[in-house]
Amino acid sequence: MADVSRVRRQLPTSPWLFAAPGLLVVGAFVLYPFVSTVVNSFTDRRTLIPGRFVGLANFRELIHDDMFWTGLRNSTLYIVGVVPALVVLPLLLALLVQKNIPGITFFRSAFYTPVVASVVVVGLVWVWLLDERGLVNSLLETVGIGRVGFLSDQWLLLLSAMAVTVWKGLGYYMIIYLAALANVPRELHEAAAVDGAGAVRRFLTVTVPAVRSTMVLVAALSSVAAFKTFSEVYLLAGPDGGPAGEDTTLVMLVQRTGTGLTGRVGYASALSVVVFVVTVALMLLVLRADRRERT
Amino acid sequence: MRISRRAFALAAAAVLALPLSACGSGGDDGGSTDASGKVEGDITFQTWNLRANFKSYFDGLVADFEKKYPGTHVKWIDQPAEGYADKISADAAGGTLPDVVNVSPDLVAPLAKAGLALDLDKAAATYRSEYLAGAWASHRIPGTSGTYAFPWYLNTGPLFYNKTLFKQAGLDPDQPPKTYDELFADALKMAHQSDGKVATLANVPTIEDFGRYGSQLMNKAGTGFAFNDTKGVELLTKYKELYDARALDPQALTATPESTGKKFLTGAVAMNPGSALDLDNFKKQAPNLYRNIGITDQITSTGHVNMYVMGVMVNSRTRHTAASVAFAHFVTDAQNQMSFAKKVAIFPSTAGSLDDPYFTKEDGTDETRVRIAAAKSLKNAVNYTPVLFSDQMKTALRNEVAKTLQGKESPRAALDNAVRACDRLLQQEG
Repeated sequence: MADVSRVRRQLPTSPWLFAAPGLLVVGAFVLYPFVSTVVNSFTDRRTLIPGRFVGLANFRELIHDDMFWTGLRNSTLYIVGVVPALVVLPLLLALLVQKNIPGITFFRSAFYTPVVASVVVVGLVWVWLLDERGLVNSLLETVGIGRVGFLSDQWLLLLSAMAVTVWKGLGYYMIIYLAALANVPRELHEAAAVDGAGAVRRFLTVTVPAVRSTMVLVAALSSVAAFKTFSEVYLLAGPDGGPAGEDTTLVMLVQRTGTGLTGRVGYASALSVVVFVVTVALMLLVLRADRRERT
Repeated sequence: MRISRRAFALAAAAVLALPLSACGSGGDDGGSTDASGKVEGDITFQTWNLRANFKSYFDGLVADFEKKYPGTHVKWIDQPAEGYADKISADAAGGTLPDVVNVSPDLVAPLAKAGLALDLDKAAATYRSEYLAGAWASHRIPGTSGTYAFPWYLNTGPLFYNKTLFKQAGLDPDQPPKTYDELFADALKMAHQSDGKVATLANVPTIEDFGRYGSQLMNKAGTGFAFNDTKGVELLTKYKELYDARALDPQALTATPESTGKKFLTGAVAMNPGSALDLDNFKKQAPNLYRNIGITDQITSTGHVNMYVMGVMVNSRTRHTAASVAFAHFVTDAQNQMSFAKKVAIFPSTAGSLDDPYFTKEDGTDETRVRIAAAKSLKNAVNYTPVLFSDQMKTALRNEVAKTLQGKESPRAALDNAVRACDRLLQQEG
């Protein structure tokens, strides 16, 4: 009995001590940078020059900054182009590879390979494919279509970057859908089949409702990831963000503005705060839409 | 003993804050500007992407210095080319900048303004006469009074061209363009003859191009940019003509030096600027091109070709000023620069070195021909890149140039906008 009371006396602090290592890591690498970014967004801090408080000046400046609106437009377009594809295509892919037939492991692995491939390597391969004299243009020229400026036209560049994002993300979301599909009761499909439902109808009335919450999760995850896109556009469009910077995304703008010896850390922090607010709003929007659907 | 929640939270916050506070600025606890003391102590020397090819040279250099000055120890570190400026800025902001740092003039400018670069006019003025006057001046910053890095190696290079492509376009491969007018005429002919499939140039004009064309770049006081003058507008108008005729590569708006180099190697582009270093690359990667390579001088309207300058800066906060200054001078002295120049195609910035037979006597090889021509042109070359022209300014100029080439803005409007943007950045950068 005495031992038990001693354990009870230690209870209030013990959980904190167990959590301390994790809390320290989160504090150092998440909370502190976050708070620091918010504080910096109200200063004119530069890389090598400590800033002074400037109130909302950075936020006022970004409203008048054309490049900010270009970045916001491109990041939003990225969501519009990428999210529907990343919600639907991996589900179809998961349905394809769900069945246990000989050799299916190869296809599952093949579809997952782009996920683990380095984004830089993937980017370079796509640049090579889409180059003016690359494989895709050679094929198009062979069939008489002629060369297409995938890497020189502002809109085609953005579409190409979206294609890379979708291609690279398919396998990841496919795995999430495979886990969800494994929980769909087989009896439901059998009952629907007995009632005369074809494959498409079974997909719409059985599979989709069963994996609906997973689709919401994928939509939320992919929309946040799409809004924060950097690597694909940077690799395909170059550090300037395409011709005249017209393909710049918001995160690219943060990087370009805030880094280097003359980086405007204060202004880049204000941009980061905007990115944060929009991503949180996106998450809330998706979750709210899901809740409304349920009720 | 019971710990209250508030006390625990405070303790946690303190534990969190303590290690983080160490990440802050390095403070002002550095050394002095007096380099006259005893040369001793441990110092760190950082180079810019040189370990892979020159490890033995730098190991020998460090060993020689330590032998000459017993009691010193030099730790040599090398950083990759990619993100070098970011690495320096992170070190500078974190107070971990090495004692002696390999820099270019545009990198040293913000460091000098932040008080992190030692003024060599005060700390090492006795060495000034050892260097070419222009090279020593290349690390002076408008608006400040000092010189903030020892000049190290210089580089410049010719224009390479593909003789086969010239021949196919009906151009004389032995008469490459010598003036801008000839260049533009040849480029338009090349595009016309190849039905737009072969471009002559692959890069949009940069600040150096505007300088070489004769634009003024900055006002005399160095307080504002001026490349929106008549010459600047004229050059951009010509480039627009080239772009429309596909004489300038359609992907030029998103090109990088690496991508244009690759295009030249594959015969997609007929001319490309380079240096003697590239000849070896052509030999290995494109033997067919190497057999048909043409070499001509940089085109310039000013009579001065462009040169790139590397420097060696001393951290003003070093604890061993004497050793750091002595080492930076040792790396850049005539003997060591000459020895480095014999290992790689670079040129010493020390007075008289370019008159060495190594830079004046022909031996019949292309490498030597390029080396001698470059050394000759360096004697009156100019570093056209203004030291205050930051990366953000380069982006602003590139974006406005791209708008002109796409037909969204007139050359005049684009350059006016670029100058306005660069002036604003100049003011913000202080």
